[in-house]
Amino acid sequence: MKKILISVTVLSVYFFSGCSNDFLDVNQTENISTADLALLNNDEGAKSFVTSVYNKFLDWNMTSFSWNGMSSIASDDADKGSSPGDTGTDKDLMDALTYNASSLSVGEVFEANYDGINRCNQALYYIPQLDQADANLKARLIGEAKFLRAFMYFTLVKCYGGVPIVDHIPNPSSEEDRVMQLTRKSKAEVYAFIEQDLNDAIAALPNKAAYPSSEKGRASQGAAYALLAKVSLYQQKWQQVIDNCNLVSGYSLSPNYATMFQLAGENDNESIFEIQGVGSTPAKGVQGYSVSQGARGAGGWGWGFNTPTLSLVNAYEPGDVRKDATIIFAGTTLYDGRVVPTTVENPRYNYKCYSSAYTDAWETDTNIKYLRYAEVLLMKAEALNELGQTSAAIPLLNQVRNRAGLGGTTALSQSDVRVAIWKERRVELAFEHDRFFDLVRTGQAQAALAADGKTFVVGKHEVFPLPQKFINQANGLSNQNPGY
Amino acid sequence: MKNIVVVLLLLFFPTLIFSQSISGKVVDEKGAALIGANIVNTTLSTSSVTDIDGAFKLKANPGDDLKVSMIGFATKIVKASSTMNIVLTEESNTLTEVVVIGYGTRKKIDNTTSITSLNADDVTKTKVLNASQAIQGKAAGVQVVSSDSPGSTPTVVIRGLGTALGGRSPLFVVDGMPTENINNINANDITSYEILKDASSLAIYGNRAANGVIIITTKKGKGNKLNVEYESFMGFRSPLSVVKMAGSNKYSYYTNAALSSTTFSQDQPINTDWFKEITRTGNYSQNNISISGASESVKYFFSLGYYDEKAVLKGLDYSRLTFRNNNEYTISKKLKINQNFSLGYTHSTPKPFSAFTNAYKQSPIVPVYFPSGQYGVSFVGDNGFASPTGSSFNNVGNPVAQLNFFDEQQKSILMQGGLKLDYEIVKGLKFTSQFNGEYYSWKNYNFEDTKAIWLAADPTRVEANYPATSNQNLLTKGKVDYFNWNLSNYFTYNKVFNNIHDVELMAGIEASTIGSRDNTAFSLKNVNSNSNYWSLSGVDYASNVTSLTNSLSNERRLNSYFGRFQYKLMNKYLLTGTIRRDGSSQFAKDYRWGTFPSFGIGWIISKEDFMANVKGINLLKLRGGWGKLGNQNVPLNRQSFTSGLNTYLGGSILYTGTTVNSQVDPSLSWEVTQETSAGLDFELLNRKLKGTFDVYNKNTNNLILDTRPYITSGVSNSSPAHVGEVSNKGYEIALRWDDKITDKLSYFIGGNFSTNKNRLESLKNGTLAPLQGGGLGNGQYTKLLDNSSIGQPLGSFYLYEYAGVDSATGAMLYYKADGTTATQGSLVEADRKYVGSILPNSTYGISLGVNYQNFDLSVDTYGTIGSKVYNGKKAQRFSGENIEDGVATNFWTLNNTSSTNPGAFNQVPVASTYYLESGDFLRVNNITLGYKIPVKNSVITAARIYFNAINPFIVKKFSGFTPELNGDGNPYGSQGVELDAYPSLKSFVFGVNLKF
Repeated sequence: MKKILISVTVLSVYFFSGCSNDFLDVNQTENISTADLALLNNDEGAKSFVTSVYNKFLDWNMTSFSWNGMSSIASDDADKGSSPGDTGTDKDLMDALTYNASSLSVGEVFEANYDGINRCNQALYYIPQLDQADANLKARLIGEAKFLRAFMYFTLVKCYGGVPIVDHIPNPSSEEDRVMQLTRKSKAEVYAFIEQDLNDAIAALPNKAAYPSSEKGRASQGAAYALLAKVSLYQQKWQQVIDNCNLVSGYSLSPNYATMFQLAGENDNESIFEIQGVGSTPAKGVQGYSVSQGARGAGGWGWGFNTPTLSLVNAYEPGDVRKDATIIFAGTTLYDGRVVPTTVENPRYNYKCYSSAYTDAWETDTNIKYLRYAEVLLMKAEALNELGQTSAAIPLLNQVRNRAGLGGTTALSQSDVRVAIWKERRVELAFEHDRFFDLVRTGQAQAALAADGKTFVVGKHEVFPLPQKFINQANGLSNQNPGY
Repeated sequence: MKNIVVVLLLLFFPTLIFSQSISGKVVDEKGAALIGANIVNTTLSTSSVTDIDGAFKLKANPGDDLKVSMIGFATKIVKASSTMNIVLTEESNTLTEVVVIGYGTRKKIDNTTSITSLNADDVTKTKVLNASQAIQGKAAGVQVVSSDSPGSTPTVVIRGLGTALGGRSPLFVVDGMPTENINNINANDITSYEILKDASSLAIYGNRAANGVIIITTKKGKGNKLNVEYESFMGFRSPLSVVKMAGSNKYSYYTNAALSSTTFSQDQPINTDWFKEITRTGNYSQNNISISGASESVKYFFSLGYYDEKAVLKGLDYSRLTFRNNNEYTISKKLKINQNFSLGYTHSTPKPFSAFTNAYKQSPIVPVYFPSGQYGVSFVGDNGFASPTGSSFNNVGNPVAQLNFFDEQQKSILMQGGLKLDYEIVKGLKFTSQFNGEYYSWKNYNFEDTKAIWLAADPTRVEANYPATSNQNLLTKGKVDYFNWNLSNYFTYNKVFNNIHDVELMAGIEASTIGSRDNTAFSLKNVNSNSNYWSLSGVDYASNVTSLTNSLSNERRLNSYFGRFQYKLMNKYLLTGTIRRDGSSQFAKDYRWGTFPSFGIGWIISKEDFMANVKGINLLKLRGGWGKLGNQNVPLNRQSFTSGLNTYLGGSILYTGTTVNSQVDPSLSWEVTQETSAGLDFELLNRKLKGTFDVYNKNTNNLILDTRPYITSGVSNSSPAHVGEVSNKGYEIALRWDDKITDKLSYFIGGNFSTNKNRLESLKNGTLAPLQGGGLGNGQYTKLLDNSSIGQPLGSFYLYEYAGVDSATGAMLYYKADGTTATQGSLVEADRKYVGSILPNSTYGISLGVNYQNFDLSVDTYGTIGSKVYNGKKAQRFSGENIEDGVATNFWTLNNTSSTNPGAFNQVPVASTYYLESGDFLRVNNITLGYKIPVKNSVITAARIYFNAINPFIVKKFSGFTPELNGDGNPYGSQGVELDAYPSLKSFVFGVNLKF
């Protein structure tokens, strides 16, 4: 009995005295505390900050359903598709250009790109602190992060016009940073910021050839030049387009257009920057990209959204190999022997998202080509033509045409060549997330969309509305785009 | 140690020594027999209990001292004689009743705080799994939102919601162990369920008290005889109300109209009632056996219970086994040890509740199975009938297939145990040390027959076309476990000075650890199709693993000092003061400690001399108090790296990705609630009328909201921050009338009503973003919390206001902010309005009971007023999906332009008041009719059979399955939104209770 009392007393004394502040110091087990940055202070740690940015491009909200809604379904290349009654939340609105600030697509793409920008900003904040990581590697990684940040701001400026420039990690209690996050900058300021990032990237990045085969997906110097050329194209800085296109070296057109969009053509010699999907376990692919666009209904494998329009079908000249490489027609047999029966819901589907091995999987081996050498040729051709060097432009255009099994262009005058290049861009780059923005950039939008039966309001539809959520948060610091 | 062994032996072999037999009878003052009175021969240590006639028999020698006791009566000591007639006098409950307060007990009359005490009868009368569901409507100021899905946890809100996204659940203290959930506790083991409601009672629990505290005490052995009690019941359950859906032909008519086509034949051969197809008549049963008793040195209690339910949703089964052992050892006059142990084991086969939504939406023209035996799918053929080869007309799966393919099993074990030592150091000074621990382990598997699901989704598919790279099947297994412990040590000192100053002091210290949750899950593809061969020995599964995760959550620790001072002057003036200082590992070093004081005062007016001659007033007590409470249940406020953002970069190497996806406010600390309250307790007319009235004003002025940073920060994880102020003001009234008309007929009627006004007082216009909630999964949200919500209650709906049907087009019209009407395409966010909250203004309950001879009848009802519910399943409807019968029968067409239902449409409707309905209801929660079977001279000392009807009737306005929608329990989540919700059930139960 006494023993019990003694032990209880001893225990109690222990606990009365033992309850100190140390007891409350608990080590984190769930996530790595940012206080333990030392764990990432090495080459692998430095890389991981940039890897997370590439990973963002695989997200559903970044590159998949909503992005198709804006870049493709809104254009004259694609219809909503699917069953008449299945709106895909708002894809019917995207198709009819009747979306508003609360439409899901408009919100997701905005949010996703800023999510990616945060990952860039985190990389740019932490990598310089990693003194145990290789200095050259760090410089390259910073270049990659800047390229990727520029890429996302370019997406934002194309979609929404001027947007807030968040160039560092905001401090939640800073008024200055609050204003930074909520105030739209002008379109020109955003373009200037993009160019600055790209110039920094160019200085830091190696050629694609310098990367090992398992890292061809990383941003290269060539990619930065190509993107800078495209950014210049959107600003009609024609000479800058030509200069940067000239600096894109080491690439060539792939002989076979169709294979580029199959497993065999991933990261081929034409590819300048592409998003990497792998279907084998552990699968990391663009979420829902293949299945949301796959053939729907009996004999199909997907949801059937983002279907090629008749207008696109008709845009191909006879003999153009790109038509059957871009469009799956119901009742045909695919390159891998799969028969697409006529019982599927829609007459046509996007071929470029098709994964032979992982058909209806959420994440497949489909890659997305964002920058190809063919586009570099077309950009250079367009810029040369705009500067009056039409005869220099035509051979570049013809290179692209010839690869597609077509003869040289018949256009000769500057204005005819301009139209020919625009049209070539359409058939060459169909379903590569370019069409809607290209229509706006070239001023063809109203006419082209009218031909597709849609009403494009000049002064309104050039940009999408900023998400209502953002407008609410801005609380007066930013105004909505006109007309929304 | 030896002593303990002896004690344990005694426990199993109660001492029974035989001597001469004496018989007698125990009656009350009116001469009525008292059943169940204890008679103890203190000389021989023999004992007996009176039977139905009040008669007893026990071994005694004439002249021995017999101690006669019964709850509610004054204990009497009489000398044994050959024929005895013992009269016990009734004792007023009020004087002896004790309430459990934190770290001690207090006589109810001396208590200055607001505590609702419910007894064993209250928590067991309604035959449900969780005791909290059973007390619904029985305690003023306590709102219980429950679901009838087996194993679900009811939400308990005490005196309003003081937090938006922090922890909302009250703290449960079970026999001294703080815990989060009482699903493992068999209601039959509970002896008292006490709800601490006001700050002056709660502050002793400091940082965990802001949402209220519920103290549960489980049974102990009593009486000097071995008592065996057996209870068994069995019941049937079915939905309390169902929604009538359109039949095939009406569906076809409506859908054709919506599509402006003739796709669907209006003479359909199939008419599937999907709700019927996925449900069955549920049944459930419970069996309990308990063994208890006491001797001079040991009180023991054992119980074993088994609950089994076959739920109304087909395939959903749930069972629970509980075991409890509570022992109290009186080791010496000064030292007492209490030991308790409980084990709860559950086994369930869950099924997805989205099947209810799918059954609501799937078209009746689709058969459950096609003639080929394949599952019916929503394809329509050229003849306008569902067909295996037609074109797809909606995205809803076959609900029966969904249930059949969903193969999951969950098992859990929760063990709780503790030791409590009470040692009287000197007279009046007691030391108490208590240690409790709980261990939880949970396991599940989920088997997905991937290939069969792929084949079933489209009847034209053939096995040969199944992609070779896809999984044949996928098995996911998960495991979670944790260990929590709590140690408290405190001294209690009690002394009466000069006969008028009654002082009690208590001071102590406590340490708690809420252990890490170790969570492991892995998925294997292509496992053997026989489930018994899923885990073969000697097989290396590495190449089949598609995912493997293991995480250990952050441990949370608490360290506390607390003290209480209770003072009673001249038995009528009461004063209580408490203080607690808490340190929590949740917060940064400099913001870790908080102090929570409280005081309470009371005045027993009826004890004043001037009241002595006032007839009819037996008790009148005025009390009031103030206190400060904390809520530490917020996410850990430390910044972390987010890992797992991996990708390939052109080859087969998977690169790991890391970023930071949160913002942190380092100064985050306690959420503090202050409450001022006052109350009046009274007992009138010879204690026939008892009542309580309470008013309170609660304010949380540094409300922590789990807020989201601006979109443009790119940070999507929410961060906790002090941004708001919420108030809860209300009053509660509880009344009960008890009367005995004759010896054979007595009755009571009781009721309570409480009202609470919840209001968001302010929000800092800081750097934090608004919060949208109540999402419908189709891009629409229904609830909002931002600066515009100030003045609204929490959980408010923020919707477009429906303005009726445009009689020219049949389109739905909405009010714009300027008062004009428009169709949904031209609405902007600013047109939305606050249109009411999921929180009710008032809740009430009425209970009545009648005892006539051996019969007992009781009825409990419960109702709420002022809440809104959103008909989410209706609002989620999409093209090609079914509609309610009322809509299909009468909707706008060119020939029916005056209909209040809009024309047939396909688009996703905006979140509007069209789908918002009143959540008011009044429900009969329970009707019990019992009969005590007279038993004589048998081993059975008492027997009762009963019939129990749970939720037999409801009066409601809501057109859905149930207006009681707990959802995920989150006011900004699915609470109050009927989407994937389990219907309320009515149950009819028959049971028997035997005592030996």
